[in-house]
Amino acid sequence: MLRYAFMQKALLGGISVALACSLLSFFVVTRRLAFMGMGISHAAFGGVGLGLAAGLDPTWAAGGFCVAVALGIGWLARRGRMHEDTTIGILFTSAMALGALVVSLSHHYNLDLMSYLFGSVLAMGWKDVAAAAILSLLACLFIGGFFKELLFVAFDEETAAASGLPVRFSYYGLLVTMALVVVVSIKLVGIILASALLVIPAATGLQLSRDYRLVLLMAALNGLASMVLGLWLSYAADVPPGATIVMVMFGFFLAALAISPRRPWMLRLLRRGG
Amino acid sequence: MRRTCRVSEFFSGESPAPRRVIELRGVWVERDGRTVLEDITFSVEEGTFLGIIGPNGAGKTTLLKVMLGLIRPQRGEVRVMGMAPGELRHELHHIGYMPQQVLFDPLFPVSVFDVVMMGRACCIGPLRPPSRRDREAVRESIRAVGLEGLEKRPIGELSGGQQRRAFLARALCLETRILLLDEPTAGLDVPAQEDFLALLGRLKKERELTVVFVSHDISVLARHADSIVCINRTMHLHGSPQEVLGSERLHEVYRCEFDFLAGKGAAR
Repeated sequence: MLRYAFMQKALLGGISVALACSLLSFFVVTRRLAFMGMGISHAAFGGVGLGLAAGLDPTWAAGGFCVAVALGIGWLARRGRMHEDTTIGILFTSAMALGALVVSLSHHYNLDLMSYLFGSVLAMGWKDVAAAAILSLLACLFIGGFFKELLFVAFDEETAAASGLPVRFSYYGLLVTMALVVVVSIKLVGIILASALLVIPAATGLQLSRDYRLVLLMAALNGLASMVLGLWLSYAADVPPGATIVMVMFGFFLAALAISPRRPWMLRLLRRGG
Repeated sequence: MRRTCRVSEFFSGESPAPRRVIELRGVWVERDGRTVLEDITFSVEEGTFLGIIGPNGAGKTTLLKVMLGLIRPQRGEVRVMGMAPGELRHELHHIGYMPQQVLFDPLFPVSVFDVVMMGRACCIGPLRPPSRRDREAVRESIRAVGLEGLEKRPIGELSGGQQRRAFLARALCLETRILLLDEPTAGLDVPAQEDFLALLGRLKKERELTVVFVSHDISVLARHADSIVCINRTMHLHGSPQEVLGSERLHEVYRCEFDFLAGKGAAR
């Protein structure tokens, strides 16, 4: 399958996105930002719609739009007047509604939009691969460079603030990174499934270990393996890649759930069954 | 480095009177249009143990945050180690803080060692891994609170008392001069409370720490504090435990709480 340029692009883009998403998912899960991830990725629909209507590159338009929505959600939630999940619920649905309206008004409704919703490897150009690689690298550098700080803030924000760590920077930094990584993964898995990449890898790792180093390692392994295996399966069986990747990822999660040391009864049950 | 000079200058040199590590003069704090603290004035001398007591919602936590510089008072003056809150921002590694009931996820994948290492994050700085010196300081701090052998345990698997000691170790693993503790023994059973206080007393003596301990439990502080401040929005009493506990006014202050619990007080 590697003979085909579209698969090469999908694999290269997919691997970089999977790595960034998996590392990021550690903080998404530990800081309980799973719904935020969903909100940001769905908001991309608004950006895509605006981009199509205005004749801009939909991915870049979605990028800018997602960052703005993420910062908006964060700002409203941080001011303490509203709960974070309420803000997400309002902004992501409104952004999607905006996207749908703009698209229908500008008569751009076509198959193109479906490829944004569910992803399409065929839609990936070398420019998208380069964007995915660069943004993923930036995301990894952000997480790697500020890991100690991000970890402290995720564990105990109040003490982190009292010890002089930039708590607000770490929060907004995470949101912006999430928005950018989500946008580049949309081409591959689509708006609706992108948030899975931000949750399932670390959730899998957390089933297997209580050491963050191992959790990160397993999250990365799950992300990368699901991406490669998912793409291969989707090619071999001629099924949509986004859905296949997420289902493979979910399969790994189920396996981790079954062999988790936290649930020894499940392992016993499996052994008896087998 | 110029940064540490301010603090070492403050603590070195002859001083005829005991040094006042924390000084508050006429401090007023308003939040959301409501007065939380009113005209608070007291000071804490080097190496002493100050207890802050008061009913729920009396502004005790706010007072600690004022000392940390996280909340700026509308009126009044705050000096910590001779510095105003703005200057203190770069000296926070000399202050160990334990917030009220660290509400962490018990499944959070960090060990005792990792948690104590967090205390050094601000000193190591971003983009850098911990050095050998950092690791040594963390181990030393874990030993000091008597948790050696448990370094690799996930923090969620420790008992309540052990977790508090881990957080104390985190507060101590820098060049700590001042400890600000917000109800550090709340929710612990009596033996665990006594253990924690005995440990605190020993560390205070060994490291010449100045301790500020917030609690609404009068009996805990009566036995361990050198002096006690009793607040309920405004300051009611300040003196030795004997003076404060013997005072009629203490009952007046706590009366508010009884009234509050009975539903007669204003909503918090």
